[in-house]
Amino acid sequence: MPLQRPGLYCAFFLLAACSSTPEHPVDSWAYPAQPHALKRPFISPGPNYQTPSLVEASRFLQQASFGPTQAEIDALSRSNYKAWLKTQFATPQTLFLPEVEPEHAKLAKGQNLRQELFFRLFWKNAATAPDQLRQRVAFALSEIFVVSFEGQLDVKIRGMASYYDMLGRNAFGDFRTLIEEVSRHPMMGVYLSHLKNQKEDPARGRVPDENYAREVMQLFTIGLHELNPDGTPRLRNSQPIETYSNEDITGLAKVFTGFSYGGPGDTDAHFNNQGREPRWDILPMKGYPKFHSASEKKFLGVTIPPQTPANPEGDLKIALDRLFNHPNVGPFFGKQLIQRLVTSNPSPAYVERVARAFNDNGAGVRGDMQAVIRAVLLDPEARQPPPDASGKLREPILRLSQWLRAFNATSISGEFRIPNTDNPGFSLGQSPLRASSVFNFYRPGFMPPGTGIARQNMVAPEMQIVSESAVAGYANFMQTAIEAGVGRVEAGKRDVQPDYSAQMAIADKPAQLVEQLDLLLTGQRLSAASRTRINEAVASIALPANNPQAAENARRNRVKLATLLIMVSPEYLVQK
Amino acid sequence: MQASRREFLRHAGALSLLRAAGPLGLQLAGIGAAAAATQPDDYRAIVCLFMYGANDGHNTVISLDSEAYKTYAAARSVIALPREALLALPTEQASRTPALSLHPELGPLQSLYQRGSAAILANVGPLVVPIKDAATFKGTNIARPPKLFSHNDQQAIWQAFSPEGAKIGWGGRIADLLAAQNGKHLFTAISAAGNAVFLASDRTIQYQISNSGAIGFNRTNAGNIYGSAKGAEALRAQIAAAQGDLFGQEYATVVNRSIEAHGLVSAALARLPETDPRVALPPELAQDKLAQQLRIVARMIGVRDDENIQQRRQIFFVSLNGFDTHDHQLDKQGELLRSVAQSIAYFQDAMAELGVADKVTVFTASDFGRALLSNGDGSDHGWGSHHFIVGGAVKGGRVYGQFPDIALNTATDVGNGRLLPTTAVDQYAATLARWMGVPERDLPLVLPNIGNFATSDLGFMQA
Repeated sequence: MPLQRPGLYCAFFLLAACSSTPEHPVDSWAYPAQPHALKRPFISPGPNYQTPSLVEASRFLQQASFGPTQAEIDALSRSNYKAWLKTQFATPQTLFLPEVEPEHAKLAKGQNLRQELFFRLFWKNAATAPDQLRQRVAFALSEIFVVSFEGQLDVKIRGMASYYDMLGRNAFGDFRTLIEEVSRHPMMGVYLSHLKNQKEDPARGRVPDENYAREVMQLFTIGLHELNPDGTPRLRNSQPIETYSNEDITGLAKVFTGFSYGGPGDTDAHFNNQGREPRWDILPMKGYPKFHSASEKKFLGVTIPPQTPANPEGDLKIALDRLFNHPNVGPFFGKQLIQRLVTSNPSPAYVERVARAFNDNGAGVRGDMQAVIRAVLLDPEARQPPPDASGKLREPILRLSQWLRAFNATSISGEFRIPNTDNPGFSLGQSPLRASSVFNFYRPGFMPPGTGIARQNMVAPEMQIVSESAVAGYANFMQTAIEAGVGRVEAGKRDVQPDYSAQMAIADKPAQLVEQLDLLLTGQRLSAASRTRINEAVASIALPANNPQAAENARRNRVKLATLLIMVSPEYLVQK
Repeated sequence: MQASRREFLRHAGALSLLRAAGPLGLQLAGIGAAAAATQPDDYRAIVCLFMYGANDGHNTVISLDSEAYKTYAAARSVIALPREALLALPTEQASRTPALSLHPELGPLQSLYQRGSAAILANVGPLVVPIKDAATFKGTNIARPPKLFSHNDQQAIWQAFSPEGAKIGWGGRIADLLAAQNGKHLFTAISAAGNAVFLASDRTIQYQISNSGAIGFNRTNAGNIYGSAKGAEALRAQIAAAQGDLFGQEYATVVNRSIEAHGLVSAALARLPETDPRVALPPELAQDKLAQQLRIVARMIGVRDDENIQQRRQIFFVSLNGFDTHDHQLDKQGELLRSVAQSIAYFQDAMAELGVADKVTVFTASDFGRALLSNGDGSDHGWGSHHFIVGGAVKGGRVYGQFPDIALNTATDVGNGRLLPTTAVDQYAATLARWMGVPERDLPLVLPNIGNFATSDLGFMQA
């Protein structure tokens, strides 16, 4: 595919085409906008694959949700993937913000909400929300368009809920809107410091902040190297070609000047002072011409001539259009979405098929997220992976979410009171929205040093947070969770409790019990040796013949033991 | 010619490493243990303190020269540190270096510098070859590190001379060369800050320890789980089951290493608990993330002669996040530098208590320096920066390398006051590697480009 390098002519064209009015009304984010009227191709309702088997259904739901339930596996095995996707695309979004707003409203001046409120909503939605695909993709997006409670956003609970809802809203929308709403969100503005970023001032020796200009390219849209449609780097003299230079960053940094607090009001005080707009944390940032660079801006082959008056909204549109239309976006973003949902090491052909779906949804529309998700999940390599496929290591958050769903966990308080799960030695080593930097918990290109994975030039992103401490911390955490539930303790009981009744009903037959859990948790990936070992261990728990209460306890212990032994198995920890 | 010689050395080195990795491993371990027994004092360790996010060197070491301070203050505007708050360093006799000072939060480092236990290395950063001046950098295609100014890549380049995806760090390479002197190779390279490519290699595996020591798998050794003795046995087998695919095998490898390390470390560390006065954190550092990492490093050093540990050469890694001060720099950086200085001072005290003050050297590193020109209330990505080397074996109280002119459009300004480094990370590393006992001839195995630079000994370490 030829590289798109719009020159001066194109820049003038873009400039002429842009409007000076904001694309979004300033107050559009408090609650979700109407779904985009995106032109989409007709998807035939018939099954493109055979009705999935139970195992295939379980595998699919491991990729497309926070974890299968037996009911979902049964339902999908009577239907097909396309129908499931169609239903999920149409399921209304479960929102975080409306749950946070009432708590926020109760705060006295100077008081803050706690991060745990977000964590509780996260686990509740992961465990119970009907819009599983959307929630799962939103979580994946939160690991690509990273903001983190760690740092200045530590008490911005309402804003972070709004950010997360924004990711979920755009999960089924279009990438152009997604990248715009990410760029305008005040949480991103705080995190990558382009909120209140001011134009250059040579007299006082000030230059625009380059932070967002760099990361929006490196991490969110095009990456460091020019890519072939299949995600492999284009080479010149056998060297990769860098997508941008530092001059491009300096030029683009000027575009991201003059953006600050949303809401009505355009005075300097509104630009400078968040106190002017109590809802600044959930309103999209808007352009303030006075603080926006009016000088020439050159980046990625685009030249925006000097302007009077300064036009922040128009410049933003030119910049984001340029990034959105860069040929790298499809393979760059598509490959990362594959890595988050399906496998760490997709073949170039798989990446290319997803990139094509990004480039054209079949109705001539670029960036249709539904088309991309469909391509990621329905690809032959996702559905029938070759025997040597790497799969991906399940990250700790997804292990706990899967356990919550597999056992239909309920919360005594109804609130899923699960606190921070950061500590790798005693907990999961990972909490939602708490990456240590914009580079996420782990990097998409991470190769664990000194391993066979690295020797084969494969990547294993999630292995970056695996350590000698974390492997034990996780196993111990699950041991307790399976035994006693998770979350805060009230009246001697943990708030979130599993329901083992379905498994207890078959616990008299260890082989049947292990088979059901193997289906539910791994998609039947246990090796014969593991199955035998687990069967024997389960069978060693005797069911007393003449003591119904003791027998019931023994059945419960059988379920717990089988669950633990599966969830610490390498076959479970690698999702394939 | 130079390149082919390097190739040869690399090849020869790889072969000798391979031999050490083979069935000789156990014998080597035995030799190390025997030698350690006869020379109990022969111990050396380096501790890399990585400031993730890129510490702003311009506000870490500041010139007191009145012209330089004036240009500094003008370029930095609101993020300029007030002159009266700066901590002056003693001026060297017969030095070309201007009078320098430290950030106001670096008081503990000022004291260490005054006592001769801390040195400053000025304007160090990644280079492939020396670059004479900014004009050469801009006007020619002289070799330079890839992906300058990009966080993740420059972190990897500082630690491993290659952008993200690097597999062998220079700490890991030093460990490869010296591990044979240790009883247990597993503890040669230890990270208290998670995975760090600095300690990675194809031979040495970094042991990632938690702040509180090794974490064991509950109920795998004895007793019941969910009422079943057989269950505990099965748990032990199942966590380490290496059957299955590549990813599963590698996970199981970490599990097995975890179990082995826990078995060796936990009893040893019990003899030097967190509360032992020699290593206990002062109350003000009890919650400090960096100090907590340095405490477990101190404890591991304290038990180095335990029969299950047996270390004579060790390389540690600790880190602190949050240095990417594009905004609110004055507040953020001050808080972080306070943690750095206080944690280092705590660690030096602990080393003295443990009798190894002159055997352990801490050195700082970071993604890159930052631009001199302010962006309002912060600063943007740069290149060269200033770093600290601290310990009893440091020839301290001095500045090494060339302290740059602090102004715009100087010979070392590649744009907005981003410093073109005048000393290479390779030279910084070589000086430390040498002190650790890497022979001159093996330096290219650790630092392939070291031959491109004038000296491999910057002189800041005692022999």
